[in-house]
Amino acid sequence: MSIPRHSYFEATARRRLAGLLDAGSFREILPPAESTPSPHLASLDLPGAFDDGVIVGSGRLAGKPVLVISQEGQFMGGAVGEIHGAKIVGLLRRAVAEKPAAVLFLIDSGGVRLHEANAGLIAISEIMRAVLATRAAGVPVLALVGGSCGAFGGMGIVAKLCSAILISEEGRLALSGPEVIETVAGVEEFDAKDRALVWRVTGGKHRYLMGDCAALVEDDIASFAAAAGAWLAGQQEAGPSLAALRATQTQLENRVAAYAAYRDGLQVWAALGVQNPESVPLLDRDSLVAIKEGLPT
Amino acid sequence: MNAPHPRNWDSLRQSRGRRLERAAAVGLGKAVPAERIVDLLEAVIQPGDRVCLEGNNQKQADFLSESLADCDPARINDLGMVQSVLALPSHVDLFERGLASRLDFSFSGPQGARLAKLVQQQRIEIGAIHTYLELFGRYFLDLTPNVALIAAQAADAEGNLYLGPNTEDTPAIVEATAFKGGIVIAQVNERLDKLPRVDVPADWVDFTVLAPKPNYIEPLFTRDPAQITEVQVLMAMMAIKGIYAEYGVTRLNHGIGFDTAAIELLLPTYAAELGLKGKICTHWALNPHPTLIPAIESGFVQSVHSFGSEVGMEAYVAARSDVFFTGADGSMRSNRAFSQTAGLYACDMFIGSTLQMDLAGNSSTATLGRITGFGGAPNMGSDPHGRRHASPAWLKAGREAAGPNAIRGRKLVVQMVESFREHMAPVFVEELDAWQLQKVMGADLPPIMIYGDDVSHIVTEEGIANLLLCRTPEEREQAIRGVAGFTPVGLARDQAMVENLRDRGIVRRAEDLGIDPRMASRDLLAARSVKDLVRWSGGLYNPPSRFRNW
Repeated sequence: MSIPRHSYFEATARRRLAGLLDAGSFREILPPAESTPSPHLASLDLPGAFDDGVIVGSGRLAGKPVLVISQEGQFMGGAVGEIHGAKIVGLLRRAVAEKPAAVLFLIDSGGVRLHEANAGLIAISEIMRAVLATRAAGVPVLALVGGSCGAFGGMGIVAKLCSAILISEEGRLALSGPEVIETVAGVEEFDAKDRALVWRVTGGKHRYLMGDCAALVEDDIASFAAAAGAWLAGQQEAGPSLAALRATQTQLENRVAAYAAYRDGLQVWAALGVQNPESVPLLDRDSLVAIKEGLPT
Repeated sequence: MNAPHPRNWDSLRQSRGRRLERAAAVGLGKAVPAERIVDLLEAVIQPGDRVCLEGNNQKQADFLSESLADCDPARINDLGMVQSVLALPSHVDLFERGLASRLDFSFSGPQGARLAKLVQQQRIEIGAIHTYLELFGRYFLDLTPNVALIAAQAADAEGNLYLGPNTEDTPAIVEATAFKGGIVIAQVNERLDKLPRVDVPADWVDFTVLAPKPNYIEPLFTRDPAQITEVQVLMAMMAIKGIYAEYGVTRLNHGIGFDTAAIELLLPTYAAELGLKGKICTHWALNPHPTLIPAIESGFVQSVHSFGSEVGMEAYVAARSDVFFTGADGSMRSNRAFSQTAGLYACDMFIGSTLQMDLAGNSSTATLGRITGFGGAPNMGSDPHGRRHASPAWLKAGREAAGPNAIRGRKLVVQMVESFREHMAPVFVEELDAWQLQKVMGADLPPIMIYGDDVSHIVTEEGIANLLLCRTPEEREQAIRGVAGFTPVGLARDQAMVENLRDRGIVRRAEDLGIDPRMASRDLLAARSVKDLVRWSGGLYNPPSRFRNW
């Protein structure tokens, strides 16, 4: 056996872009030298980053022009502050004007940067609006989730507003983070230190089995690139519609009715019809995809 | 001539008989119920006895240790404890409660601070701190136990013992005790009608007791690949290219740190790309490190003999009997005494880490306020002058040290350290804490783990220092300073002399070895998580829950 050589999970935001896009095609907008660190962090005597933890720009994916956003999970957990958010919103507005083949949104974030308070919250809501506006303009927004911070809080919502999500087993997607749930509702409700449980409830395999993501990919930058290219080839952005929203609403209501009493992904997988749910965490990607495809729909 | 004073030549046997009679008199046969263990210990142990309490850094006779600590100090006292490792709180309780007064041991690990306090309060008299082989050796000379309290996996009705994969120290302890009139008491995890195999025959064992809980085993050798840093990857690349490949090291032992775990995980990737498969790292004296799984699965490793086992590796080891030592029943057999002997005499290289190193290359893991001891590192991390058989690595090292006409080879003893350890404490120092510790403890010698004159190479993030090629103490000192990074010792280097040493290949940087530090990425690791290791093993490795995130 072999382990993929370029882990997406462990790579920096820049390394992910370098591996994802066609060689030499990436052009950064507002590179570190032209950007400024967060004034809010500076006023709190906290270290800033010249790119404020997000990289935006243009490039090509399998020959097609794309705009890209890549959050750096290793800077403040990828949290969204004012400048960080403004860079993302600006990029999405550019997409509305330029109409690239797609926007690739490499999400790696715990949500709002609490240090920036309302500025961060406003930034998140602006990102949500901009994602929907981009899709309404006929430009698909593809979320890639496989970083160490996952997609939580406001960025969990943003991920679900995108046209589709590609996720790796290591990726996580949810609204409230495990520590938040434990803090608010107690360790009896959710033990955030039980990493296995965290992944069984928020991890990529669970999200994929639940149908929340378009594809499950290996933790490998090249695999993300291939999956994004394949998704792009078959994609026509229809834009958000009332009918689609109603269908999603019904689906979510059914989900609550079916699974709300369960405590663990294992129970949900059994209810979905997975034969040996306890074997799921150790299965490789291809075996899990085969199981998913064999499930009753 | 006067008639010789009549002497009793079998006092040990008579004493043994009286002890067994006392046990019988209180109604105890060979299989002792757990609730009567204190009665047994008080019947067979006498004041002033030398008692061996089995326990190493892995397997522990924890039930017997706790039970001995619960005995009445009015009946049992002044014991001299001989044991490999002082690791459990109950080990130290024996001294605090007045049951024992003397201690000969090898390693103290987590109880090092409590032990140091007792020594300073003069409530414990330390005979000596040994290496494992020295201590085992003295079991057969002047420290033979009167009573041995050991741990086994299972006993049958006759008292035969099955030791399971963690054989460890048991054979050495039992042999010394059973054949010199001593009493052997074994705690077992289960009683079986038929043992998988007999590791200790029943007539060497006097009593068995079914422990309420299975004996504790520490997963000491499990290193999570997720915690390996890119600096450690760089050091591992330098070690592989600059030492393993150049000397053709085939027989070796690794320490237990993340530095050497990084080397193990680079074998199937970086070392394979350098064409080293089959040329290095084929035969090991090593516990079954989970991080060795990818190298084994890739066909790098031909044989591994182990000191003990490792929690979770049982099924994997049993399924790879061409590589590991296993019994006819299929399960692993380890043996610390034999594996240490292999590490001392049959290995061409030892590579490990340390906490402090001085300018002569002496290294120590002792820090103020803690007595940690030595374990097996000094046996493996020393050049044995008794060695006679040659190997290419041993000869090359010997000729580097003493010229082309050298009459003996040299073992490669490699210390692999980052120049700073946690909390920015410099590893390289002008004087080891060991010297101050010696004064505080009133010891004969400072507790030096590896003597500088045994060290052949030092690997840091700054490069490799080859001490074999140094011809004067000044060169040695500058070679060490030359890889000591930004520590005060490193900053005080003589720049010109270090560059001169570099020209002579005594100090080598990554670029001197043709290694681009920017290529030192975690992507080179054959496994980046414990889950990757499980997958490499085909699901046979079953890691303890604390290492799981699934």
